[in-house]
Amino acid sequence: MFKLNLKIALRNLWKNKTSSFINVIGLAIGLSACLMLLLYVSYEWNFDKQAKNWKNVYTAMTNVPGEGNKIAGTFNGTTTALGPLLKQNLPEVKYVARMDYGKKSLIANGQNSFKKDSKFAEPNILKMYDYEFISGDAKTALSNPLSVVLTESTAKTLFGTADVLNKSVRYQDKENLTITGVIKDLPENSSNRFDFLMPWSFYEILDPSVKDLNWNNYSFVTMVMLNPDANIDLVNRKVEALVKANTPQTPQSQPHFLYQASKLHLFGKFENGQPVGGNIEQIWLFMGLAFGILLIACINFMNMATAKSEKRAKEVGIKKTIGANRTSLIFQFLTESMVLTLVAVVLAIALLEICLPAFNGLLSINLGISYFNAASWIGILGIVVSTGLIAGSYPAFYLSSFNPIQTLKRKIKSRGILTVSLRQVLVIGQFCFAIILIISTLVIYRQIQYIKNKPVGFDVNTLVEIPQDGELKTKFELFKTEMLKSGAVASMYQSSVSLSHHGRNFMDMKWDGMTKPENTVMFNQVATSYDFIKTNGIKLLQGRDFSKTFASDTSAVMVSASAVKVFGYKNPIGKKVTIFGDNAYIIGVFDDYVWDSPYKSNNPQVVFLNQKQTGTITMRLNNSNNLQSNIETITRITKAFNPAYPTEITFINSLYQEKYKSEKTLGILSNLFGGLAIFVSCLGLFGLVAYSAEQRTKEFGVRKVLGASVANLMQLLSFSFIKMIIIAIIIAVPISYFAMGKWLNNFEFHTEISWWIIPVAALGTLSMALITVSFQAYKTAKANPVDALKYE
Amino acid sequence: MIKIENLEKVYKTEEVETTALNGINLYVKEGEFVSIMGPSGCGKSTLLNVMGLLDKPESGSYKFIDTELLTLNDRERSNFRKRNMGFVFQNFNLIDELTVFENIELPLIYNKVPTGERKKLVNEIIERMNIVNRSGHFPQQLSGGQQQRVAVARALVTKPKLVLADEPTGNLDSSHGNEVMELLCELNETGTTIVMVTHSSHDASFSNRIINLKDGHVISEKINKSRNEELI
Repeated sequence: MFKLNLKIALRNLWKNKTSSFINVIGLAIGLSACLMLLLYVSYEWNFDKQAKNWKNVYTAMTNVPGEGNKIAGTFNGTTTALGPLLKQNLPEVKYVARMDYGKKSLIANGQNSFKKDSKFAEPNILKMYDYEFISGDAKTALSNPLSVVLTESTAKTLFGTADVLNKSVRYQDKENLTITGVIKDLPENSSNRFDFLMPWSFYEILDPSVKDLNWNNYSFVTMVMLNPDANIDLVNRKVEALVKANTPQTPQSQPHFLYQASKLHLFGKFENGQPVGGNIEQIWLFMGLAFGILLIACINFMNMATAKSEKRAKEVGIKKTIGANRTSLIFQFLTESMVLTLVAVVLAIALLEICLPAFNGLLSINLGISYFNAASWIGILGIVVSTGLIAGSYPAFYLSSFNPIQTLKRKIKSRGILTVSLRQVLVIGQFCFAIILIISTLVIYRQIQYIKNKPVGFDVNTLVEIPQDGELKTKFELFKTEMLKSGAVASMYQSSVSLSHHGRNFMDMKWDGMTKPENTVMFNQVATSYDFIKTNGIKLLQGRDFSKTFASDTSAVMVSASAVKVFGYKNPIGKKVTIFGDNAYIIGVFDDYVWDSPYKSNNPQVVFLNQKQTGTITMRLNNSNNLQSNIETITRITKAFNPAYPTEITFINSLYQEKYKSEKTLGILSNLFGGLAIFVSCLGLFGLVAYSAEQRTKEFGVRKVLGASVANLMQLLSFSFIKMIIIAIIIAVPISYFAMGKWLNNFEFHTEISWWIIPVAALGTLSMALITVSFQAYKTAKANPVDALKYE
Repeated sequence: MIKIENLEKVYKTEEVETTALNGINLYVKEGEFVSIMGPSGCGKSTLLNVMGLLDKPESGSYKFIDTELLTLNDRERSNFRKRNMGFVFQNFNLIDELTVFENIELPLIYNKVPTGERKKLVNEIIERMNIVNRSGHFPQQLSGGQQQRVAVARALVTKPKLVLADEPTGNLDSSHGNEVMELLCELNETGTTIVMVTHSSHDASFSNRIINLKDGHVISEKINKSRNEELI
């Protein structure tokens, strides 16, 4: 029976080439979009879930108190004191490992030096994440302070081989470390990635403040592994009580809680201390897009199958007469949709292989189908079966329900009220989805443009920055003199952070006339050197930049306009503020500029003079020279100071471009999938029109003989379809208007939905549908009426 | 073999109610060849459909070798039909996507006949119908007469007790029509009961008994002496 059903299915596919082509192409596009996005979703979903015990690994989180007993923010930074306290007092805690956030550091094998991602961590990290050791012993790898664990690719980059156990590497051109382990490269979808890992004890040698168990500096990460049977709610209640009992309580005290480490990637957004989603929203969006397109393709299949019901009715009638029951017929029609889906999935995998490199490039990831993994095939099979069932079930139930007498006497009316209306509903649904995608794309595009065109607050174009490594920390003044002398740079300064990035957040701040006993507004601090404003060109509203002519500037600060608003000073220049207990006087007020996220207003900022807090050197290039020679000069001078370090010059401009990346990606993806949705929908429409034209050949012949013009006939055939598109537009416009309004409200700085977006989307879809319909309508209307009548 | 009593069938639409069968009583003996004749709309096709369990009457009784068929549910009707009945239609009703061989094989598949036996039965009937050289062809590659031979072969392959034929020569020219009628006669001679609906008195002359219907009633019944004598 199955063999026979298969034969009928294949012969039918071959016989109805147009509809088979439409179905196969539509389903292949839908399936490849679906597979591609599912690969991405599985990549994101499995973030930080590679370790055997990932379910028990937690990150300590910190809540930042805000106004009115609310929590202003939640982040994964903790102090050095938290980890040991938890380990000593909570029986549920199996291991604790403190880490730094990681940074790019110099690592060298002789002259072979590179800047790579480094991390410091306590040895227990190796028990939480079961890194695969190629050589070395996980139990002892981080015991000795002067040891290092390399990833396989780092070992190969430095030595050309992974067989490097007990060899020595030089860290930051300062210390020699012995390689005590080489591990397999970490999966890309892990948050705590590094190229080399060093012991916490070494960190304590480099920075003695790390050894001090304090409750002030939140620059560290505390990872905790709980016993499998631990109740996290109970543990968190204990954590809160424990921290309260062991720290002095002020309004600025920051409560802690443990949060499953693997959740941080997708569910990392917190409001008032509670998780409220995060990147998972994007995952839902992508899933919606993927299944939406697949559904459009399935609808094409359903529509084509039911539109052709008249042709299949005879077959159903005969089979029922000679003994087929309904189940066997349903099974036969499902076999047909499965066969079609199978053909489509082969094509979809080919399409996927072609498109994946571009998709990977767009998202900066490295996805691929693992052909030798049973799970991949089970996944693909699952999609094929469910697609086949979704696409095939309605036609199967519909066609198999035909009454044999009526079908054999050709009394089947393919235009029953219910049939047509369901088909219409499906077409309207398809186009609704497509129109929503078009409007969304336009709104996302407008929002990106709006943010891009919003002034950053300074001229980003000739600004570059380099990391302040090695000798550049201690010999900054000499470096500055050399640079200015070379003529490549017009002005420069050093600062604790990059101009595009946020500095350290703090609340220990007092000012004259403060109404509350303690400040609860989060401030941002940047330590800098002379020529801060002169170099970056941020607008100075009042006062002046730091200057060597004023010795008192060591206890002076410049503040942002929003900080002045918080202080409530009318004439801020010369006014006193107290930061961490030290008095400072305001000498200048600068306009707020964009750093961190360009989509929201940032914290008030305080800039003070402290050349000890090094980080980044920012330079304004000399416009009178050409760019190439400026860069060459900077590279040459930097190399002379820091021969061991590679020179990394970054254009501030590109740092700001990076900030638009996720919305830009969203824009490109919604563009792409919107386009695909329209294409697949039009493909289906084309099929329906073609079939409708075929059905009405005789009617058209008669009408033409009676004097109907080509235009009359085109109108006749097109009108019913265009009517559906218009209904789709009427439904889709308010939905997308509402949804995109909500999306825009996520951004503090956002554009409005322009009036022209809706007519553009509506007319665009309508004309696309019109072209599709007219093509077929014209062909039918132009046909010789005699042929049409002879045909019948 | 068949005993039909007081059969009533009414077709209802929103506006009109049409009585297609109005108290029909009919008996068919085993091995008989019965023709049903009458003007268009007299109810002859409806009667055939009811006899073939393709349609349900409003009331009456339909016994097939002492089994009351009108009380069966859909699945039982379908099972009874595929085991006991074969159909021949005016427009052949072959499945275009299947070859001659596959079309004939289909009822055997539904009857769950094992593959080996199935092939044997199909080959036998193909040979008997003289269409061996056409077995790999698709219906549209055959002439009307050949298509009807295939349809008859398909109706016979399960060796049904009853063959129901609805205007089997309606779409054929006279020579092909005669061929098909001779085929039905041969079949009847081997013991198969046949009930045929026809417009043509020529076709009806091949049967043992002719029943005339009008407005859903049996108005006359005639024994075909010449055919019966022939048989004697």
